[in-house]
Amino acid sequence: MSKGVLLFAHNTPKYNYLKMAVFCANRIKHFLGLPITVITDVESTTNCETSIFDNIIYTIPNKTNKKEKEIWINKDRFKAYELSPYDETILLDVDYVVNSDKLLKTFDIVEDICVHNNTEFVMNPKLPQEMISAYSFKTCWATVVTFKKTLKAKQVFECMEMIQKNYDHYANIYNFVAGTFRNDYAVSIGLQIVNGHLQNPVDFIPWNLYHVGKLTSVYKNNDSTLCDEFLVMHDNWKNGKIKKEYIILKNIDFHVINKDNFVELL
Amino acid sequence: MDTNLLISQAKARFSHNAAKAALQEKYNAKLIIAEQAGLWKADKETINFLYHSHLIQTEIVLMDTFNNPVKVNTLELYQKLFEVYNNVMNEWYDEYIQLETKK
Repeated sequence: MSKGVLLFAHNTPKYNYLKMAVFCANRIKHFLGLPITVITDVESTTNCETSIFDNIIYTIPNKTNKKEKEIWINKDRFKAYELSPYDETILLDVDYVVNSDKLLKTFDIVEDICVHNNTEFVMNPKLPQEMISAYSFKTCWATVVTFKKTLKAKQVFECMEMIQKNYDHYANIYNFVAGTFRNDYAVSIGLQIVNGHLQNPVDFIPWNLYHVGKLTSVYKNNDSTLCDEFLVMHDNWKNGKIKKEYIILKNIDFHVINKDNFVELL
Repeated sequence: MDTNLLISQAKARFSHNAAKAALQEKYNAKLIIAEQAGLWKADKETINFLYHSHLIQTEIVLMDTFNNPVKVNTLELYQKLFEVYNNVMNEWYDEYIQLETKK
């Protein structure tokens, strides 16, 4: 059974996603020792060293999605099943910092497909879980998706495509704002549909997705690409004043929500 | 980047609560293992149950963390979970002690 990691990296006018993917790939090789396939476009690969990737697949990016008035190319994620050259794949966001070998454990866990449905914020451990809508279910996260080439996994990705193409309709049914397409919503609803509108615990990774959220910054403790110690600093507002707090993260994976901050780590 | 300089210039204080939560996050995940076709958390309850079960019978059906019933060899699973628990908790303790000394 072949195993590997799949990354999507299409540059936008604001961010160089391929550079983020190279950073991510270096860490995957070091901590997980897995082959990496990147899905990108010809324009993004110009002037970028791509030898770290074992396989490059070129696609035409769909530039129809926007986030905070900027182009956000995230609409080809449903193609992961079809494009992955591996029997067992970890589909990863490029802003996920691999900092341990923990993701290898998802291969032991996965039956068909598994995602995170629980999150925790590094400096705010008590924040509530995000729900699709007020009276709905917890949002799953497309940041880490481990899947096998099985019928159920195929159906989930097919559902994601259907949801993407009929996003307004699903926003109406599940009562969320349709403005920006989110793969998190597509995978949440896709899993729900494939499971007969039930939730199956087998589809969820049994630990939290660790987020570095807003008002929080991450810094490398040294300049190495493979640095495993990160300083996390947070602005804690108390009585109208900011108090800076920090912790050190070592050998633990995390997802950086703030892209501007992530770019500084590269 | 000189992070020590950054900490001193920002007059940042070490957040013991957030650091404790980070350790919990890190080591809780390490306590989860796939063994004998099931997924298990090496916690006190499961280890204790397996220890007492193995004195009476060699096999037993247990619900794993995904709520699937799995027939397991009690002694083998007990030994594996105890080993994982011991290793992970020792690592957790060592890091916790280091954390306690931080200001």
